[in-house]
Amino acid sequence: MPQLNPSPWFAILVFSWLVLLVVIPPKVVAHTFPKEPTLQSAEKPKTEPWNWPWH
Amino acid sequence: MTLSFFDQFMSPSLLGIPLMALALTLPWTLFPAPTPRWLHNRLLALQNWFIGRFAQELLLPLSPAGHKWAMLFASLMLYLISLNMLGLLPYTFTPTTQLSLNLGLAVPLWLATVIIGMRNQPTIALGHLLPEGTPTLLIPVLIIIETISLFIRPIALGVRLTANLTAGHLLIQLIATAAFVLLPLMPTVAVLTGALLFLLTLLEVAVAMIQAYVFVLLLSLYLQENV
Repeated sequence: MPQLNPSPWFAILVFSWLVLLVVIPPKVVAHTFPKEPTLQSAEKPKTEPWNWPWH
Repeated sequence: MTLSFFDQFMSPSLLGIPLMALALTLPWTLFPAPTPRWLHNRLLALQNWFIGRFAQELLLPLSPAGHKWAMLFASLMLYLISLNMLGLLPYTFTPTTQLSLNLGLAVPLWLATVIIGMRNQPTIALGHLLPEGTPTLLIPVLIIIETISLFIRPIALGVRLTANLTAGHLLIQLIATAAFVLLPLMPTVAVLTGALLFLLTLLEVAVAMIQAYVFVLLLSLYLQENV
């Protein structure tokens, strides 16, 4: 089975970790997630009637 | 040297350039780094959504101390899923069929979770070796069994990914060869084999995504136990 051939295994190991640690994290970290805008509530606030004068 | 079906997994090189290096470096051109603009293009919007949702779902069961691993898990997920999916294209090389790559990812990451558990909360980490409610007589046996299962985890993690992808690629090659050989002899059977090949390719697309997800999910579970 060619996967069991030990000759390039160290190079593969080092190179794959190199790519995983050096190339990808800057791309991942650069993604920002803005805050979701909250929807204005559809129900109108309850108003209580008042029958006294302004002052 | 006669060509066998396993030869597709040999590390290929073209004119002295190991194609493994190309297969490991070129996929990241599909992931442009976002700029500080508020609105990007469609591709970046999709990737942004994927990374955010994935990290949210994965970190949900983890305690806050485990959230430090968010960047590593997101990077690992992108890494595995793009390598797996691109490997399904014809004539591409899939680096994740190489045991060296998968074991090289699985063993250090698993070891990191174990060491973190042993350093920060050794009692809890060792307590995972004995499930609650075991009968007293079974305790020594169960500790041995749980220790064995703990040490098998990295091997299982690496070999699972390797074996799934290798088997999938081998099956595709076998059935494609069968369809091709049968075409002049028995065309109807060849067409049926072609339909089977189509269904198998769909399965392999699913397997590519699922295996990448399972790898990262299991790592997050091992972290959850230890953090």
